[in-house]
Amino acid sequence: MSISRRKFLGWLGSAGLGATLGKNADAASNKHFTGYPDISGVLFDNTLCIGCRKCEEGCNKVNELPAPDKAFDDLSVMEAPRRTRAGEFTVVNRYSGVPDAGGPVYRKIQCNHCLEPACASACFVSAFTKTPTGAVTYDESVCVGCRYCMIACPFEIPAYEYDKALTPRVTKCTLCHPRIIKGLLPGCVEICPTEALTFGKRKDLIRLARERIQQHPGRYVDHVYGETEMGGTSWLYLSGTPFQKIGMREDLGNLPAPLLTKGALSAVPIISGMWPVLLTGIYAISKRKEKIAETEKAQAINAAREQAEADAKAKLDAALKQAQKDKEKEIELQVKRALEEAAKAQSEAAAKPETKEESDG
Amino acid sequence: MAAIAFLAAAILSFGVPGVQGVQQELDSMEVMRADLVMIDTMKTFGRLERPPVVFLHDKHTEALLQQKQDCNACHPADEKGRQSHKFKRIEDSDPKAVMDLYHEGCITCHTETATAGRKSGPVTCGACHLKKPTVISDSQPMGMDKSLHYRHTKTLENKCEKCHHVYNEQKKTLEYLKGQEGSCRYCHGETKVENRIAAQQAFHQACIGCHQQRLAEKKVSGPNECSRCHSLEDQKLIEVVKDVPRMEVNQPNVVFVKRLQENEPPPTPEENTLMQQVPFDHKAHEEFNNTCRVCHHANLKACVSCHTLKGDEKGGRVQLEQSMHQSNAGQSCIGCHNNQKVQPECAGCHENIYQKLSGDTNASACLACHMEPMPVTDGSTQQPAELAALMLESRKKPPTPYPADKIPEIVDIGVLTNQFQKARMPHRKIVQALEKKIQGNQLAVAYHGDSGALCQGCHHNSVIAEKPPKCGSCHGQPFVERQPVRPGLIAAYHQQCIGCHTRMGIEKPAATDCTACHEKK
Repeated sequence: MSISRRKFLGWLGSAGLGATLGKNADAASNKHFTGYPDISGVLFDNTLCIGCRKCEEGCNKVNELPAPDKAFDDLSVMEAPRRTRAGEFTVVNRYSGVPDAGGPVYRKIQCNHCLEPACASACFVSAFTKTPTGAVTYDESVCVGCRYCMIACPFEIPAYEYDKALTPRVTKCTLCHPRIIKGLLPGCVEICPTEALTFGKRKDLIRLARERIQQHPGRYVDHVYGETEMGGTSWLYLSGTPFQKIGMREDLGNLPAPLLTKGALSAVPIISGMWPVLLTGIYAISKRKEKIAETEKAQAINAAREQAEADAKAKLDAALKQAQKDKEKEIELQVKRALEEAAKAQSEAAAKPETKEESDG
Repeated sequence: MAAIAFLAAAILSFGVPGVQGVQQELDSMEVMRADLVMIDTMKTFGRLERPPVVFLHDKHTEALLQQKQDCNACHPADEKGRQSHKFKRIEDSDPKAVMDLYHEGCITCHTETATAGRKSGPVTCGACHLKKPTVISDSQPMGMDKSLHYRHTKTLENKCEKCHHVYNEQKKTLEYLKGQEGSCRYCHGETKVENRIAAQQAFHQACIGCHQQRLAEKKVSGPNECSRCHSLEDQKLIEVVKDVPRMEVNQPNVVFVKRLQENEPPPTPEENTLMQQVPFDHKAHEEFNNTCRVCHHANLKACVSCHTLKGDEKGGRVQLEQSMHQSNAGQSCIGCHNNQKVQPECAGCHENIYQKLSGDTNASACLACHMEPMPVTDGSTQQPAELAALMLESRKKPPTPYPADKIPEIVDIGVLTNQFQKARMPHRKIVQALEKKIQGNQLAVAYHGDSGALCQGCHHNSVIAEKPPKCGSCHGQPFVERQPVRPGLIAAYHQQCIGCHTRMGIEKPAATDCTACHEKK
């Protein structure tokens, strides 16, 4: 395998160019999507909601979902907070004891149909599409079941059919896309007895929401939730109590999710398309690196060994030299001492010759 | 055996900190007190070196009382004999002296008290200068309402000069002028201005000063403790006199609301574009409110003396029109009337009536106040006050409802007949129930004078008539693009019925009980 680094980078570059020219990578590219004109949406006004669960019933009916655990006229399910599930595209939660609310407050949960959906930007097979009607639709035929969408969604909406072993799908509210294109109302909106849900063009709904706030000073929190949250959503919310008090996140910011992740995610199609090339390249490069490293290592070891040997030799020589020097010095000293002793003995003998003789005698 | 030992060890290691945690929580629990004074006097000299001192005033008053000492133990009197409400001084001199005063005063007394074997306060720095105070103040503002004022005038035998005074610029003294009495707050504001002390100081000096004096003289007296005026519980115990005689300050009974200042010439008939004069029942409004300050927020003069037709500096450039109609100002007519609409019996209808931002319901509502002048019948010239009284009298009679046989008894609503039987609305019963609610309320009577005005609660946004349009005349299909504000018919019914019931506190039938209104098919 011999691929030069230059060659590999060349391939990668051309692949990147191809990907940006391609059509499907829009959601994660650095293009800024400002939204389709005249998209539809729904305004939920919780000051009009009476918590009757009719919307859940309507949703269940039009989407032909399995029968609920508890009948829709059983309102006791609202005692505990619920979230969307595989067979429940929408749920209404009740919040009792919210200060200054004067009674229970309701919150409807379903897919918000973001203008720039996080789920779509996280999906590498483009199973999600933001349609010109406003609905974010899901194509089960391409879905690989990675469930990245479920992690990406800031509203925790997509659910998964865990109970289906062979054909599990991701499920969520479709904004009744099939009905909208036929000119019908979404199931939940159609059945709502108090028009707590209003269907219309998103821009009209924003105007309507503002008008309601203005007409009833003190009734609403002066904010239309969904107008700017996560870059804006097709579902909009009016509330009489702070949104945070009814479990709606106020920390999401105004930037669309794809804008936050586009840097990292724009590389995804390139990498997934060029997977074999990339792997081969990485393999070749790392292989070459290894080889170079090995040679360099051997050289280094040799050099080190030579150095060590030279050092040792020099040290030995020096030691030997020193020893020689010391020895010579010692000999010289011994000789000197011996000569001195001999001279001393000679002069003593000259001074007392008789004694020596006497003693000898 | 080993298992038991392990269990014991586990309990010891986990259980004990748990108990400590609870104890800490108990310690850190905040106590609400009305007599909390945070001593942060040193703030006036610069940044505080230590946290402010948590001082419970009533505790100290009580302790001193047990030692047979009174307020003079801590609060000296000034040269005029008025008690200072500062601790052991009249004025804040230099920082060192003030600090020493507190340290010496507090610590010496605490030490002496402890030596004498009585319960005493702390003597260490951190015990007074608490980083995390465990006491929080729930002190309520105290005010003198009509009842309390009456009790004072009665006890003080109508000696208004005991409290009321004005400042004489020439003589540089306080003096009492009969007929010039007003609210203390007209002069004494939030902070001291020139020689006018702040309201808080003025009240404490005047009220407590007098209470103490009377107490010393063994006369009937008011409280001296913080909590007796400022705690919510004790405020409820203050005796309330029901029928308070009227406070007399030369105010009119009935008057046409003045539109011109004292010396302003009236406009010539050709140039007169003023609205019809508004007759105003001053006396009745005195009864509705607890203090004069509700309307007379700056002085007791006529509104126009500050709020001129064109707006003037002395009235904060608020024109007379604005001062009467500003819908979100409590001192204005409409502002105050609007505040009444939140009562359940009003909110049922009024919450749902389309409101323009100006606050007016519709142009015909102007005529409720700006009444057509009464035709002069006998040719005699009447005094304006008499005329105003006559006009007001004509407004007091309750609205004459449409005769019962003209009001449909039952209205069948059949918009959901695909699921339910027709809803049978007891139309006449509802009208009569609403009529009853109006009769008990003078304000409501004045504004619902027209027989059909009441019907507007449901038959809104249409002309007043004996046979107003039906709901279905305007409400039809939902979500009509050009009429986004108008709900569809089904929602219109539900919003109207459920909304009104909720706001009026009518619990039955429950909003989610479908078959309570339209029976099962």
